[in-house]
Amino acid sequence: MVRNIVVLGGNSHPELVESICGILGLPACSRILTKFSSGESRCEIQDSVRGKDVYIIQTGFGGNGSRLNDHFMDLCIMISACKTGSARRVTAVLPLFPYSRQPDLPYNKAGAPLYKAPTPNGENGKNQYTFDSVPPTPGPGVPKTSGLTNSSDIANQMIKNALTNGSSKEQYTTHDYENLSIVNGFQAKPGYKQWVAQAGTLVANLLTCAGCDHVITMDLHDPQVQGFFDIPVDNLYGQPLLKRYIQQHIPNWRDAVIISPDAGGAKRATAIADSLGMEFALIHKERRPTKITDRQNASMMLVGNVTDRVCILLDDIADTGNTITRAAKLLKKEGATTIYALLTHGVFSGDAISRVKASAIDKLVVTNSVPQDEHKKQLGSKLDVLDISPIFAEAMRRVHHGESISVLFNYE
Amino acid sequence: MSGEMANEVKLISGRSHPELSEKVAKRLGIEVARTISLNYSNQETSFTVGESVRDEDVFIIQSTTTGDVNEGLMELLIAISACRTASARRITAVIPNFPYARQDKKDKSRAPISARLVANMLQTAGANHIVTVDLHASQIQGFFSVPVDNLYAEPSFLRYIRENYKPEDCVIVSPDAGGAKRATSIADHLNTGFALIHKERPRPNVVGRMVLVGNVEDKIAILVDDMADTCGTLVKAASVLKENGAKAVLALVTHGILSGNAIENLNGSVLEALICTNTVPLGDKIERCPKIRVIDISPTIAEAIRRTHNGESVSYLFNHAPV
Repeated sequence: MVRNIVVLGGNSHPELVESICGILGLPACSRILTKFSSGESRCEIQDSVRGKDVYIIQTGFGGNGSRLNDHFMDLCIMISACKTGSARRVTAVLPLFPYSRQPDLPYNKAGAPLYKAPTPNGENGKNQYTFDSVPPTPGPGVPKTSGLTNSSDIANQMIKNALTNGSSKEQYTTHDYENLSIVNGFQAKPGYKQWVAQAGTLVANLLTCAGCDHVITMDLHDPQVQGFFDIPVDNLYGQPLLKRYIQQHIPNWRDAVIISPDAGGAKRATAIADSLGMEFALIHKERRPTKITDRQNASMMLVGNVTDRVCILLDDIADTGNTITRAAKLLKKEGATTIYALLTHGVFSGDAISRVKASAIDKLVVTNSVPQDEHKKQLGSKLDVLDISPIFAEAMRRVHHGESISVLFNYE
Repeated sequence: MSGEMANEVKLISGRSHPELSEKVAKRLGIEVARTISLNYSNQETSFTVGESVRDEDVFIIQSTTTGDVNEGLMELLIAISACRTASARRITAVIPNFPYARQDKKDKSRAPISARLVANMLQTAGANHIVTVDLHASQIQGFFSVPVDNLYAEPSFLRYIRENYKPEDCVIVSPDAGGAKRATSIADHLNTGFALIHKERPRPNVVGRMVLVGNVEDKIAILVDDMADTCGTLVKAASVLKENGAKAVLALVTHGILSGNAIENLNGSVLEALICTNTVPLGDKIERCPKIRVIDISPTIAEAIRRTHNGESVSYLFNHAPV
């Protein structure tokens, strides 16, 4: 039982709120949080927050009929309401930080969108995703592969596509758009390189301006986001959970290889590999144009050896599932026996679930930083969900009592 | 060369009301800037800028889409912040219908003052100037520390009434005590009578009992309000006016939000017409409800943009509607 603390839940993840409240031994603050028919959020906090330490739990996830931006506005409104209601301190608990992933530039220098080959046949078939890798990156004494090559000439296919119907084009970016046809029809002014707004700093500033005093989040995609805030940010790690999963649920884990699916995640992956004394390999996403006609081709290659080994892909987030499914395909091609994918945040937006289903991934492990019920229903035993509520409950308890939370960064 | 090029008006349109932006752009004789807003599949909003805004005078037009206010607001904030990081000289948010304008006071314990939050957010994102139309409460201007130009639809309304009706046949009616000031101002300008309806409101979006104060017998009663949301108030007020002997009942509102079952309410009511401006996109509602008549507000907004850009006084627009 923790006193003088109020836990206020948003609409994005009620199960997590309930679970955290259960661990802390207190009921969630009663509130009304709906929408007026005009579309404006309606928020009424029914319990007193005067002089209390308020924790507002809202994850950056939209789905199951709710919208991410609604959740974010709800969060800001709740923070502001608590502040004007004389709360002593307001902490935003964001298991998944919204807008933390800065967009990849989806365009090349000439302003034309980059394409990847159109998918030939719907959902089934693993030959849906194609990659190539020429030339391979040289590295001294590193076993390296020739990567996956494209079976078809993307450039020619693109031209054909453009002539027949423009709608089946896909863009090469780690973000998928809900409506691609608009992107493809868009042209920047001649001589100007179009660019995409980066909303990370804005979101940080908006939370601060709403009156947030403290932020608790987990596995920020870019740790630099912490620096966008002028208020304390506690970035918890999902790694210990994932580490424990490896030790307890993966047979012969000492012989397995930890794989980072891109260079950005190498640090995260090596940290775990080092602490467990495991081997490590890296998948390099190469986007250098090799020939003018090849400019559109993204390629992947593996640095390290995985033949006849169990592979454990480690990443912080799976959104469209592109990165991990492509990586899994490459690993299978390189002779991996079993592929585990361990992620902190399993967003799985768009058609990610069917993509994962059809992929070479044998087991997917995510935390419940975003609701996983729907994903669990669709993926069944392929998906394992780790509970993060004890970590967040403990972090909240420690922050409330002014104890150090650094022990949470490395717990076993 | 650079002297001529620098500091032009850049008109950026949000997704909520492209028609209005088109009309404003046409009136200003410029083109809407090449930008594009989309949602990623994880629903985060992305805003792409396709032309330079460096050192330009940027105006971003974003209204509210009924039912999807938060999407539009986030898009506006991201667009403002994008222009700020792209070194725009000045960013003016043109918000014809200010979102959350009704949540402007702490009317009960721990109620959020969301209008102030929106004001703070706009400034945090980097807006240097706000242009809006008929704020629900003009005090909202005080939530900002940047200039706010609150334009009025009143001159357009006055012209509409003078062109379509004889003012001496009309009575201006305020559907609630809060709107009395707005209604009396129109009544004074037209030199007509004035009446007021007193209502009790038990819960939001629900209308209670109504009492008419004043005389509307054998007159055309014109209900004046700043917004029509579910139209519950207007419909009920209209029947009260009819019961009190009004010849016909019209409603004149600035923002036609028309949410929920507003269209059904209107179609089944004794209201002869709902006259609103196009501050809020009406979509297919005009086809679904023949009673809706639209006054174009884009000349007023365009003129405000032109005057703001040129550093001329905007107050002329408070009493005159540009033709």
